[in-house]
Amino acid sequence: MIKKMVIALSLLTVLFPIMAYAEDPTGATLDMGLNSLWVMVAFVLVLLMQGGFILLEAGSTRMKNAGHVAGKTIFTAALATLMYWAVGYGIAFGGGSSLNAVIGWGDFLFNPSITAVEGDSYPSTVFFLFQLAFACVSLSIAWGGFAERAKLSSYIVFTIFFVGIIYPVVAHWIWGGGWLAEDGAQDFAGSTVVHLSGALAAFAATVLLKPRIGKFNKDGSANEIQGHNQVFTALSVLLLWVGWFGFNAGSTVAIGDGFFGYVAFNTMLGAGAGGVAALLISWAVTGKADITHMLNGTLAGLVAITASCAFVEPWAAVVIGLFAGVLVFFSVKFFEKIRVDDPIYALSVHGMAGIWGTLANGIFATQLLADKVGVGQGGLIDTGSVKQLWVQFESVVVAGAFVLAASFLVLGVMKAIMGFRVTEEQEIVGLDLSEHGAYGYPEQLKKPDASFKA
Amino acid sequence: MEDRWLAKMLNLIRLAGKPAELHSLRNEAQQYLKSHVQSLPIDQCYEQLNEVHDAVICRAITLAEAEMARLGMGAPPVPYAYLLFGSGGREEQTMSSDQDSGIVFSDGEGASSTRQYFSLLSERIVRNLLESGYPPCDGNVISSNAEWCLSIEEWKNRLEGWFNEPVWENVRYLLILADGRCVHGDQMLANELKSYFYKYVLNHSDIEKRMLENTIRHKILVGVFGQLLREPYGSEAGSLDIKYGAYIPMVNAIRLLSIQAGIPATSTLERLSELIKQGYLNDSDGNQYYAAFSQFLSLRLLTTSQLEHGWHTSNGKLAADKLDKAAISKLKGHLKAGKKLQQYVYKHTLSRLSQGGG
Repeated sequence: MIKKMVIALSLLTVLFPIMAYAEDPTGATLDMGLNSLWVMVAFVLVLLMQGGFILLEAGSTRMKNAGHVAGKTIFTAALATLMYWAVGYGIAFGGGSSLNAVIGWGDFLFNPSITAVEGDSYPSTVFFLFQLAFACVSLSIAWGGFAERAKLSSYIVFTIFFVGIIYPVVAHWIWGGGWLAEDGAQDFAGSTVVHLSGALAAFAATVLLKPRIGKFNKDGSANEIQGHNQVFTALSVLLLWVGWFGFNAGSTVAIGDGFFGYVAFNTMLGAGAGGVAALLISWAVTGKADITHMLNGTLAGLVAITASCAFVEPWAAVVIGLFAGVLVFFSVKFFEKIRVDDPIYALSVHGMAGIWGTLANGIFATQLLADKVGVGQGGLIDTGSVKQLWVQFESVVVAGAFVLAASFLVLGVMKAIMGFRVTEEQEIVGLDLSEHGAYGYPEQLKKPDASFKA
Repeated sequence: MEDRWLAKMLNLIRLAGKPAELHSLRNEAQQYLKSHVQSLPIDQCYEQLNEVHDAVICRAITLAEAEMARLGMGAPPVPYAYLLFGSGGREEQTMSSDQDSGIVFSDGEGASSTRQYFSLLSERIVRNLLESGYPPCDGNVISSNAEWCLSIEEWKNRLEGWFNEPVWENVRYLLILADGRCVHGDQMLANELKSYFYKYVLNHSDIEKRMLENTIRHKILVGVFGQLLREPYGSEAGSLDIKYGAYIPMVNAIRLLSIQAGIPATSTLERLSELIKQGYLNDSDGNQYYAAFSQFLSLRLLTTSQLEHGWHTSNGKLAADKLDKAAISKLKGHLKAGKKLQQYVYKHTLSRLSQGGG
């Protein structure tokens, strides 16, 4: 037995000499490998958040649109991949142009080196994948404003412009060395870049599309259009919550000294506080402990802590989450009151909480953590200075105004040229049938009469 | 002046020859009372309205009896009492109330023919009342349902069954029975049934506990910040569910306290006065509850009503524009009082039960 093993090992050593003669890897290589692995894991987690968006959007809308909602999320992620590879990445992170403060230029049809370049802490491939997954999240947030009434073709057009230009420009300003980065704007994992951008695109869409049939009565009062599966919606929040650890903790893009753990820790606290606050406030105000509000609050806590997770102390993470939970509740009521139909609550969850999270840095960031991350400075409470708060405010207003204007332009032109909304008949029949020819739940829904077919 | 008009109407009702006539007289009387709601104190308003209802119902019954006689079934073979439950029992019917009713008759010889007679009679009464504009009870608590048309001995057996098996449905029936009131016929029979109920209910602490749970299950529609909890969505958005968010919770609470005190009155305001008089509620709390319930009673007359299958029905909801600022602030205070009453009933009942060793 032992003899056989010795022979086998000797043979293997002859066949694979490297095993016998390999040098120990250097510390830098190990470090690079670990970082790469971490960013890769984070990419997978963030990509999986698309599963969360499928369940969130499908669960919050009606059965007749479920197949469409789910399928289009996968399709637009596929299209976004191509667009980001061809154009978007080059605008967000392509360096070296004379206009670098405003826009990146280079690395179009991105052709990365096959391994990490000497001195890099990870290969550009994993960075690309990670950034792509962020762009896809922002895009899926925008779909909240399209839900249940936009033509499939409008999804294609908007994906091209949003992932090709609009999102990458904001990402460049804040993360790609653009002018807001120069000013020291703190947005660790994208309360503004990802969430607010997506939410404002959703806002532009929902304003141009107008409310769904039956959402508002003639006298201005709102009707509740209930989602078809609250279990899906709850599961979606869990999936997103888990994915968020890739989103936030992964944004350290390094294993380093284990700081990613601190980021994850704050993320967890923010989410918990958001969920608790939203349930309690809905209970207190409406007399009912509303599940939808609680789920929105959990997500709002996550959105809000996204900008600040690396810059604040744990108590502040809790305060940020609590406030986000309350804010999202009143925000939902507010949008309903001004008769803006927000089927997935994207405007409140990602927009309002995104704004709050970004501003919260200006209040709660500590000098110590700002130095550690190397972006901006401490906020109002720690330093007594309003400088960071002003920078945060500036980044929200400028990035927000840009996304809003660009989205209105793209969607407005599209509406004028090719139309944006399906016909009333199609909307009533459901997009599953009108856009794809088959229901997501064929056994639960009957095909309508011929008279109703569009 | 008003009284004279009402007396004239009541007389006409008592002489009406057929249900259609009753219907139009009832509508006329309601129209008149509606226009006088503002000028009358609310308890008088309900009193007059329920006098009209009682008169219509009694006439519908005597018309049915006459019809039975005409068909050769003769007069009622034994004494009986026609009972009203629900708002009718509490003398709190609105302009649009449905039929909740039952019959109790004496035990006598010829049980099966007696049953036959009352079964046919109750059918005719219910039909006459339908034609006079009273929709049937959703829960089928109605005299034409054999379960609610029994001899006094059968009633007692049935009650015993309910007492021995306190599932939610039986507890609901017992609470319905507590509001029972004889509107026509032999008052003694009704009294016998009610005193049987009172005698046993207080000896069953498990029943009392279940009654408590049933009694406080409707939440009063005022939030922790003292705000009104309005309908959030739909065509009724902004309106307030006065029936189930204010009126019924108080009716329930006062009923349970009255059952515990052995007070036989069925009208909520009368029950309240008795509870105060007998010292079960102190004067200041009691008067607060009295004022609160009076406002709920008047708001209840303003709730949205519609015509459904030719019957006036109300969804019990008060539209937002029916309340001005002063009324809202008064209402908030009264809803808080209602909440306080619910808490009092809860604590009071639990301490009673723990003292009783139950």
